[in-house]
Amino acid sequence: MSTMKTTRDVRGVGLSIPRPDGPEKVTGRVQYVADMTSRGLLHAKLLRSRHAHARIVGIDTTRAKALPGVRAVLTARDIPELKHKAPTRAHAVLAIDRVVFAGQPVAAVAADEAAIAEEALDLIEVQYEVLPAAVDPLKSMQPGAPPVAELGTEADTSEALAHSAVAMAKGEAAPAKAVNISQTAAVKRGDVAKGFAESDLVLEHTYRVPMVHQGYLEPHAVLAEWDRAGNLTLWASTQGSFNTRSEVADVLGIEENRIKVIPVECGGGFGGKIRALCEPITALLARATKRPVRYVMTRREELEAGMPAPQVIIRLKTGVKRDGALMALEAETVLESGAFSGTVLAVSAVFLGSLYRWPAFDIKGSEVLTHKPSVAAYRAPVAPQTIFAIDSHMESLARALALDPVEFRRRHLQKPGEPMVNNQPWASNGAHEVLTRIAEHPLWKEREAWKKSSGNGHGLRGTGLALGGWLGGLQPTSATVKLNPDGTLAVLTGQVDIAGTNIALAQIAATAYGLDIDKVKITTGDTDVAPLTGLSAGSKTIYTVGTAVLQAAQNARQQTLEIAAKELEASVQDLEIVDGKVIVRGVPDKGVTLASIGKKGNLYMSKVEPVLGVAHPAFSQQAPAFAAQLARIEVDPDTGQTTLHDFVVVQDAGHAINPLGVEGQMQGGAVQSLGIALTEALMYDDSGRLMNPSLLDYRTLTAADLPDIETIIVEVPSPSGPYGARGVGEPPIVPAPAALANAIHDATGVRLTEVPLTPERIALAIAAKG
Amino acid sequence: MILPGSVKECVQALAEHGAAAKLVAGGTDLLPQLKNHLLKPGVVVDLSGVATLKKLTADKGLRIGAAVTARELERDGRLATGAYRGLAESGALVGSVQVRHLATVGGNICNAAPSADMIPPLLALDAEAVIAGPRGERRVPLRDFITGVRTTVLGADELLVELSVPDPGPHSGGAYLRHTPRRELDIAVVGVGSQVTLANGVCTKARIALAAVAPTPVHARAAERALEGQALTPQRIEEAAKLAVEAARPISDQRGSVEFRRHLVRVLTRRTLTTALARANGGQA
Ligand SMILES: Cc1cc2nc3c(=O)[nH]c(=O)nc-3n(C[C@H](O)[C@H](O)[C@H](O)COP(=O)(O)OP(=O)(O)OC[C@H]3O[C@@H](n4cnc5c(N)ncnc54)[C@H](O)[C@@H]3O)c2cc1C
Repeated sequence: MSTMKTTRDVRGVGLSIPRPDGPEKVTGRVQYVADMTSRGLLHAKLLRSRHAHARIVGIDTTRAKALPGVRAVLTARDIPELKHKAPTRAHAVLAIDRVVFAGQPVAAVAADEAAIAEEALDLIEVQYEVLPAAVDPLKSMQPGAPPVAELGTEADTSEALAHSAVAMAKGEAAPAKAVNISQTAAVKRGDVAKGFAESDLVLEHTYRVPMVHQGYLEPHAVLAEWDRAGNLTLWASTQGSFNTRSEVADVLGIEENRIKVIPVECGGGFGGKIRALCEPITALLARATKRPVRYVMTRREELEAGMPAPQVIIRLKTGVKRDGALMALEAETVLESGAFSGTVLAVSAVFLGSLYRWPAFDIKGSEVLTHKPSVAAYRAPVAPQTIFAIDSHMESLARALALDPVEFRRRHLQKPGEPMVNNQPWASNGAHEVLTRIAEHPLWKEREAWKKSSGNGHGLRGTGLALGGWLGGLQPTSATVKLNPDGTLAVLTGQVDIAGTNIALAQIAATAYGLDIDKVKITTGDTDVAPLTGLSAGSKTIYTVGTAVLQAAQNARQQTLEIAAKELEASVQDLEIVDGKVIVRGVPDKGVTLASIGKKGNLYMSKVEPVLGVAHPAFSQQAPAFAAQLARIEVDPDTGQTTLHDFVVVQDAGHAINPLGVEGQMQGGAVQSLGIALTEALMYDDSGRLMNPSLLDYRTLTAADLPDIETIIVEVPSPSGPYGARGVGEPPIVPAPAALANAIHDATGVRLTEVPLTPERIALAIAAKG
Repeated sequence: MILPGSVKECVQALAEHGAAAKLVAGGTDLLPQLKNHLLKPGVVVDLSGVATLKKLTADKGLRIGAAVTARELERDGRLATGAYRGLAESGALVGSVQVRHLATVGGNICNAAPSADMIPPLLALDAEAVIAGPRGERRVPLRDFITGVRTTVLGADELLVELSVPDPGPHSGGAYLRHTPRRELDIAVVGVGSQVTLANGVCTKARIALAAVAPTPVHARAAERALEGQALTPQRIEEAAKLAVEAARPISDQRGSVEFRRHLVRVLTRRTLTTALARANGGQA
């Protein structure tokens, strides 16, 4: 199964091991930032704009400052570092003279108690001159729309870089008067017009996925404290402490060495805790008061002013021959980025144009600014939205041509080595394998019988599946592995564990070094002590940090064997590590224990070097990972209510380092994917205010809405991942919107092109069809 | 916080603190309102010590204490069949199990949300509100109790003591259904409570109460009249369902559009009437 080089079966890679942090979390014992305190702690609150777009005429903080217990009230005037042309949301700490979304902070308070800070907010008087807001991205991209960014603000492409998305040519400049188009991209191949002319069937739909929130349980939170020398410590809930450090240093204009970010247990991020959000203002309040300050966002603030996923609108037109041959594809993608630039355009183009083999395509993408909170990544950014479009479309084409929908996909699915839209070859992947596997599932094979059982007291029954995936992120990283004086092993990285990755990394170290997992400890260090590493994002922790840990553990093993070789007067090649002892192969009673080697590396006057394995790799080869999902459903044709009877996830993990952890990701990803498919949407009124700023009306699914989710792991080893592993976090959030739209189509004959697939949309579409 | 031990003490406390006082039963509406700064009462009067408010008596009709919980409606064997089944169904739909153990009938009614689930079945049963105040007790039909969104006929010095439900007779059936996109922990997009009473195969009384389609819960009077004196065939029920739509004056909001709400009134009226009829006929549906 595994390709490990050690001689005995070490308890490591391939074992299903429960997350050690699990019991702590479910019993409420874990300390999150909101649980932390510090002597003299102050509490922060932010005054946020009620208007989506307004000029700030004046702010009067006199009464708030006079309230007993208030220690500081800051407005933009108090922060000389602020730039008018804020390139990112983090830089726009407080609005300077214009607010550009409802929920944007305009003033900040630090007080002895949270309740006092909140009371002080009511005493701050802001005079606004309300301006027209650009709320609908399709209108916002037209000339004459109310401008969002200050003229000349640079587009932010760092998110694209952070996710190591595929490089793509920049599109032509936006029409000069379309002030809210912040980025464009375009790719083209072949003669699209000719392709359509020669097609027997041309199908065109516009697909829409609204802004959705990542839904992490723990809201954004940070505790900031300065020492007298001017060094800042941040206890942060973040997906990347080094990234947080860089961003805060940049906003505050201080050296990174002056900031220590301590990553506290993170209660979920899913992309929403990559970029800095409330860290700069909390640090500034702490600087102004010379006291530690803690800020914890409320759920309402999260929904109104977090960093949700962009709304994605895709107009998709395709031409095919009667026999199912693909001819041409034309697509226009609009990504609504909210008030600041920062989306990823390329992912959409890759999946639209090159998941399937289109001989001719013409794909354009625009990032459009609106007066709404700016967006960020959400687990496989833009992939669920894009797959919703292309997979729904493939299903519709197959049905229109009376072809088997799985066969149709399989026939046109690109193979490793074939070109993506940017002409780079698809890396090895298991797309074909997961599609084949899900088509063999009894629920798929018995779909006709299920459909026939509709009526007679049942609703309309149907089955749908979809295929989607993620290209795989890359980022340089580093890790160290040291041998302790008692022969145990300690792994150190700076990687934040948001998904149960630390246990899997320890499993890799165990197998690579040759020591059982219970002898391995792994620590996530803060930015002062840990070696540099990247974000816990892009499904890349196991793929990249796992590689670093693997190499560092191999390095430590080599050092260990060299020390033992001298002592045993044997050559390194003849040695192996068995049960905590280095022995000469086949001579188990001749050996030295790891403890004795570890001890000598830390003994007074010893000449033996301590064992310290180090690795700091960078990467260029992505490992795409695919998932297919199948839904067996029943629709109440009168109320439009969809009941999920069964849900299956098949996913290529490359090699499941910790199968239990992989299944956990498949389950969690499926639930979020189903939420996007069925119930979730941030809804804005015409003035740009959020209509559903609570978890009552922003509907994430609950356990009561979900069936048991069946998970099936497929292993198509990645040639470049540790032990063949691929990223597993993102693929399972991708297919459900398309799978559910396909299932609902199967059940009702109605094709919906906008999610969430709410009872209202379904019932009214069925009623309209008559 | 004041903890009275009887209705009388409660009335005294209200008289003393006037409009500054706010009653709390289960707190499942009040606490979120306090947390969101919608209310800032000077003093909270906690009803949990008033035992009489927690009684549910079934003897020629029902007497439901204001502090009876949704969970009790859901689980009480006396509500499990025929006539009162709609009431039990509405209790079973509120929130989650945890919420239902706290949420009271009185709180649901006095909070007077247009979407309140326990109100339509009580309206359909022609319930009467028993109110205590400094001038003694008064009775108000439930249909006149709620005056608008979150407003009732209660004075600042009064409390709701009990819901009095007249005996609906031997051949009566009730049903309650609501539509929510999520299965639990959601608010009715539309709720419909229906009650039909039969004699000799003819409907002698029909009640249809709608939630979340107007500022207050409303009766679908025209639909009720179309059923009374008739044998209830599927066609008549469908016609009544169509008429019920006319009683709805819904708005479009984040939970549903006018169009969808009207559509749901028809669907849920048809379904609750069909079920209520079966129950009136002694069916276990
Ligand atoms: C998570 C959650 C889910 C919910 N789901 C539902 C649902 O599905 N359906 C639904 O209808 N509701 C729902 N609710 C709302 C709430 O639970 C119900 O309205 C509940 O019945 C209120 O009862 P209570 O005892 O908690 O009221 P409280 O919060 O104690 O009181 C509510 C109001 O009534 C007043 N009041 C209470 N008792 C009296 C009295 N005897 N006399 C005069 N005034 C009084 C109080 O002063 C207050 O203004 C939900 C609430 C939560 C938090």
